[in-house]
Amino acid sequence: MPSLSRKIRISSVMATAALLAVSACTPGEAEKPVASPGTEASGTVEFWHFFTDREAAAIDTIVADFKAAHPKIDVVVKSGQDDTKMLQAIGAGQGPDVGLSYSTDTVGKFCASGAWLDLKPYIERDGVDLAKIPPTVRSYTEFKGRRCAMPFLADTYGFYYNKTLLAEAGIAAPPKTLTELADAAKKLTKRKPDGTIERAGFLPLFGFYEHSPSHLAPAVGAKWLNDDGTSAIGSDPAWLELLKWQKDLVDWYGFDKLEKFRASLGDEWSADNAFHKGQVAMMVDGEYRIAFLRDQAKDVKFGTAPLPVSDAHPDWYGGGYVTGNVIGVSKTAKNPEAAWALIRYLTTDTGAIVKLANLIKNVPSTTDALAAPGDLGNDADFKVFLDIFAHPHTSTTPPSAVGPAYEEALSTYLQKYQAGPAGDPSAGLKDVDKQINQLVQLAG
Amino acid sequence: MVAVTAKRAGRATSAAGAATLRQRRRRDRLTVLSFMAPVLLGLLVFLVYPLVASVYFSFTTFDLVNAPRWVGLRNWEHLLQDPNVRKAAANTLWLVVVLVPARMLGALATGLLLARFKRGAGVYRTLFYLPALAPPVAATLAFVFLFKPGTGPVNTLLADLGIQGPLWFNSPEWAKPSLVLLGLWGIGDLMIIFLAALLDVPKEQYEAASLDGANAVHQFRYVTLPNIAPVLLFAAVTGVIQTLQYFTQAAVAASVASGQATTGGGISSTFGYPEGSTFTYPLWLYVVGFRYGALGYANTLAVVLFVVAAAVTVVMLRRFRSFL
Amino acid sequence: MSPLNETKLAFVARHAIAIALSVMFLCPIVFLALTSFMSSDQSLTANLWPTAWHPGNYAEVFARTPLPRYLLNTALYATFATLFMLLASVPAAYALAKLRWRGRTTIFVAIVCMMMLPPQVTTVPLYLMWADYGLTGSLWPLVLPMLLGDAFSIFLLRQFLLTIPDEYLDAARVDGCGEWRTLLRVVLPMAKPGIAAAAMFQFFYAWNDYYGPLLYTSENESAWTLSLGLASFRTLHAVQWNIVSAATLLTMVPIVVVFFFAQKAFVQGVTLTGVKG
Repeated sequence: MPSLSRKIRISSVMATAALLAVSACTPGEAEKPVASPGTEASGTVEFWHFFTDREAAAIDTIVADFKAAHPKIDVVVKSGQDDTKMLQAIGAGQGPDVGLSYSTDTVGKFCASGAWLDLKPYIERDGVDLAKIPPTVRSYTEFKGRRCAMPFLADTYGFYYNKTLLAEAGIAAPPKTLTELADAAKKLTKRKPDGTIERAGFLPLFGFYEHSPSHLAPAVGAKWLNDDGTSAIGSDPAWLELLKWQKDLVDWYGFDKLEKFRASLGDEWSADNAFHKGQVAMMVDGEYRIAFLRDQAKDVKFGTAPLPVSDAHPDWYGGGYVTGNVIGVSKTAKNPEAAWALIRYLTTDTGAIVKLANLIKNVPSTTDALAAPGDLGNDADFKVFLDIFAHPHTSTTPPSAVGPAYEEALSTYLQKYQAGPAGDPSAGLKDVDKQINQLVQLAG
Repeated sequence: MVAVTAKRAGRATSAAGAATLRQRRRRDRLTVLSFMAPVLLGLLVFLVYPLVASVYFSFTTFDLVNAPRWVGLRNWEHLLQDPNVRKAAANTLWLVVVLVPARMLGALATGLLLARFKRGAGVYRTLFYLPALAPPVAATLAFVFLFKPGTGPVNTLLADLGIQGPLWFNSPEWAKPSLVLLGLWGIGDLMIIFLAALLDVPKEQYEAASLDGANAVHQFRYVTLPNIAPVLLFAAVTGVIQTLQYFTQAAVAASVASGQATTGGGISSTFGYPEGSTFTYPLWLYVVGFRYGALGYANTLAVVLFVVAAAVTVVMLRRFRSFL
Repeated sequence: MSPLNETKLAFVARHAIAIALSVMFLCPIVFLALTSFMSSDQSLTANLWPTAWHPGNYAEVFARTPLPRYLLNTALYATFATLFMLLASVPAAYALAKLRWRGRTTIFVAIVCMMMLPPQVTTVPLYLMWADYGLTGSLWPLVLPMLLGDAFSIFLLRQFLLTIPDEYLDAARVDGCGEWRTLLRVVLPMAKPGIAAAAMFQFFYAWNDYYGPLLYTSENESAWTLSLGLASFRTLHAVQWNIVSAATLLTMVPIVVVFFFAQKAFVQGVTLTGVKG
């Protein structure tokens, strides 16, 4: 059947051509002009977010408030969405008007690709004061001068310590410097007669629970990226300081003993969390741990504090690590005006932010909301995290065109480094630089 | 009819015979086409189209949102100097070499065992198959949790027997062998295929063999094996292809073992735990393409995976041509 | 030792091994079952036996998700995917196994190749295609392709059909059956175990498929499947494994029942081969 085979060949070519056409002409190239000030937005907005269950219900509450305040706008909420899926949908012209992303990892990609619109025209037109957002938080919601996202609540990481164990060891206050931390860790560590670890004062392995390089970097003020988006890891001596400190402590325990101890610990997200069980006396974790501790380990007397800092810079004490959820308007939004109205409400209305922060037990993301954080502010343990959030030496992982590639490239190297014999990691870090920069090139 | 008529018609010599031959051939082709048409279309849409797309994307930089931009050989050049790809490929090849034969042997053994049951066969089959029926994420979580060195019952049981168990999924040396155990646990799918084939072996062939005085080993070698060979070939080929794409179990096992059993968005930070020993090739492909946004490069990796899978498959099919 | 004793010994040994294996295969499932009765605080701790039993977890699954709706969607997806797959794949497998034609080997290898591109990348162009047809937001992009056959199933069915001796087919052809009649009357009954296996795999695959429904239906909750529902029992920072375990077991019940009855097809294979001789 020659005619059929020819038909097949033709349709094969057509299929291929169609592919190229489809992938080449994704819609929405030109950004729509912004309406004049004072225009009241109306119509329907589709809003995708990743929350599920109880937290999704909290979102619904706030959206209902928004609808009451903006009767001309209807919001269709879709919960349980996935970031990659959202990007694919936007690429195919099927995305939402407003999207909420789980992680700041996506900001670089969403801004650089234009998947999310630059909000600057709206912000300028409506006179939104960005100074009310702390600078660190501002930095993780824009990329290369494009403000394509707004911060939607935040997670703040600080230091947890077991008050009972510290008192037993005669340590009066939580450590403020890395040296104090190492000393306290050694004092608080208990070994069995055979030398295996029974309790670790501080478990310094990278990759243990929240002990990622990202969460510890603020202690030494280590820098991730240069202004041009290339890796700064190999050239910033702060990393060497952190690594030397960490490796010394690891070797004090013995890597094999630590790894064996780590393997024996319960899951981070279960009631068997090593801190709940008193198996580690101090650790770095997010503000959400407070709720878990109160719920699952009522008898543990814990305290919260800022992250200990480099001995060379005791004045940095008070900060920690911050990251958050980010929200933006899709380039394929059918109704960008109404979409912006929703985002503006969710991210700048003090009442809405405080209410949501209290419902989800996260950190509110504007200074106005921080000043009057409702019940969260009356909680002494939580208050520590509000203060960390606002502290000038609190830092974040900056948006990058390659998402979390720089963090994960470093983590991968550190997994090997901490397991190996003590040595100078400089060459290894340079190699990490090279990998990251190559990835930046590939994605660019 | 096709084969038979073609053979017979081949002997025809007269001009009239040649005419009917052509007619018959056309009819035969139409018959084949009536069987194959949907699948031929399927080949276009689900093989040619994605493959052409993948090859094209592999020469571009692509972010899912904007049109792909041609970058020539850049992705391919990077492939040669990407240290992660080498490590990931080594892990994946290890799994192909160990996991595929292990699963085939295990499935054949359990299949042979089950084929001998008449009463209670349904219950045993269901029990053996159960792990393959469980959603992969929950199944992997449960399995890895039982092997947790400090808290899991496996090492507790071993300790009761006076054996100090290894760190299983928490040790760079044991993590991949532990994944093989996980694969053996979920053997049900292969077992059922082998069982169906084993039960289909004509009984009279066994009877004839046993009349000839063949013992159990000989019967297996000369009756069972040839009869189930096509299915063994199927298991080997699909086993290799699936293991080259080994993804979910490696991701979940690493996250549970690292002590962060979560399904949250940050899951890729635990990929490969411990020390990269479970970082497979498809995990790197996914991470680099969808987490780091280098989708062009991810497609380069996919094309390489395709070529490797195709090469291995063609070699296997040739080697076992007699079973085709 | 008399032959009778020997068979008795073999009988006991066989069951002993089978029971031991059953226990090993069951352990992780029992773990899920125990977890499904725990409080959320106890799940994933070292304490494997529920300190207090919470059968209410199962009620919670029903209360928190529209489970019947998900079940219906999942059943429709799995059923139609399986039916469509069989419709297209059985004839193709027959043509590949039992008919001689030029290009057969090439097409066969091409079909096997369909499995070789990792799904992570093939979904990118395919998603664009389905979006173009306006079918995203539904399960159609997962069901319709089955009308064009499924590579894994075609390969599996072909291998099973190869084991059917040609003489049976020739006999039917001599009786004047066309190829389609030969397939329907002679081959289908003989290939039941293979077809049952292929159908089961397709059905179970669709039942547990997560990434397919996530990609194509996440924005349309009325089309969600059980696997998507399973993923919703979590909060931002933690998964509620007790509820997830309960939901997982509930999800498994229908397919375990399906399997128990479907596997009976494998016994029929034996009786049929008895007829063969």
